[in-house]
Amino acid sequence: HAPPRTEKMTVDQDWSSVYPTAAAFKPASVPLPIRMGYPVKRGVPPPKEGNLELIKIPNFLHLTPPAIKKHCAALKDFCTEWPSALDSDEKCEQHFPIEIETVDYVSAGTSIRNPKARVVTLRVKLSNLNLDDHAKKKLIKLVGERYCKDTDTLTITTDRCPLRRQNYDYGIHLLTVLYHESWKTEMWESEKTEEDMEEYIWENSCSQKNALDTLLRIKASENVSTVTKEELLASEVVKNYRNSVIALKNEGETENNMSQYKESVKKLLNIQALP
Amino acid sequence: NLMGVQLAGSHVHTQEPKTNPLVSISDEPETLYKRLSLLVKGHDKAVLDSYEYFAVLAAKELGISVEKVHKPPKKIERLTLLKSVHIYKKHRVQYEMRTHYMCLELKHLTSSTAAVYLEYVQRNLPEGVAMEVKKTKIEKIPEHIQEPVWDTLPQIEETEVKS
Repeated sequence: HAPPRTEKMTVDQDWSSVYPTAAAFKPASVPLPIRMGYPVKRGVPPPKEGNLELIKIPNFLHLTPPAIKKHCAALKDFCTEWPSALDSDEKCEQHFPIEIETVDYVSAGTSIRNPKARVVTLRVKLSNLNLDDHAKKKLIKLVGERYCKDTDTLTITTDRCPLRRQNYDYGIHLLTVLYHESWKTEMWESEKTEEDMEEYIWENSCSQKNALDTLLRIKASENVSTVTKEELLASEVVKNYRNSVIALKNEGETENNMSQYKESVKKLLNIQALP
Repeated sequence: NLMGVQLAGSHVHTQEPKTNPLVSISDEPETLYKRLSLLVKGHDKAVLDSYEYFAVLAAKELGISVEKVHKPPKKIERLTLLKSVHIYKKHRVQYEMRTHYMCLELKHLTSSTAAVYLEYVQRNLPEGVAMEVKKTKIEKIPEHIQEPVWDTLPQIEETEVKS
């Protein structure tokens, strides 16, 4: 019988012509002394001739580093360069604020389609859109859970259409509609009550009324000439009190906020520190 | 010696760039991909390791910056079935399916580079290995969102709203 091809192979041959494409493992074409399999009792794993384990496993003999380099050199002509002006994430964000995420699936099976491939996710930072104060608050209320306050990003995930391009168009349509609706002011928006407000505003609130009431009564009991409301509002102590109350309501109760509130109340009511 | 000098000087006209007849250049602007995330799943870790070496080398050769390569932990799905066709409930047999993962994240690709790289890498995907590709495309804000439309429309819209 003829000797295997491996005996005629030189050390410096061109391997990419022996295995140009993905092929099964041929023991007579691969000049390596490979052994694979469960070893016989008090022996070694079986040799490569007639070894099913070596044929079963996918091999990468057609993708050696020189072969990869040759392929990439031929493919390099078809690639384009990334614009050098956009080297950091912040610059990308500044010039191209909208991010669209799509997923592709590759797998072996009876069909190449995957129903999860039609999902499209749109992400925008609201600071990049042209919105004024009222429009921004209305948009956040309309959108609800899809807005993340920490990163100021609006995420819209669409998968109600059967094709990816349709989902993308629907996502852009939703964004357009939200933007335009938030700029409109409806008649019933003027009935916005204190519970609807996103942040605490001190003017025209119970806290302001109570503080002014108390101060007026203190001044009346001391028989000082009646001071007007505007003067009281403009005074230092009331401003301090106002800032500390706003901080407490908006940011929550921290050590700093509570001590600030304590100081401002003491100054307002002229109480000296207890001995 | 003069012969040598002439031959050295004759390399000037081979410096013209060889235009590849298969390359076609179109005018439309390229879509940009901020990040391309490849998740490869397989049953055999050795196959995935070799594939990782191949994918990373291919990306480096084509000039694509690799952000990071990480391997999420494997997931094992176990089943317990009856060993016999009929009765013998106390004797069962257990099977498990191990899925290994490997995630490759690439940064800053143009659409043609991404198409080339993905086609190359997907054609050489070994048997029994699956891949998910997540593309993050970046775009400018479309023109109809730059300014609210209400400022430019005429006053006729009020009667339409009432009706």
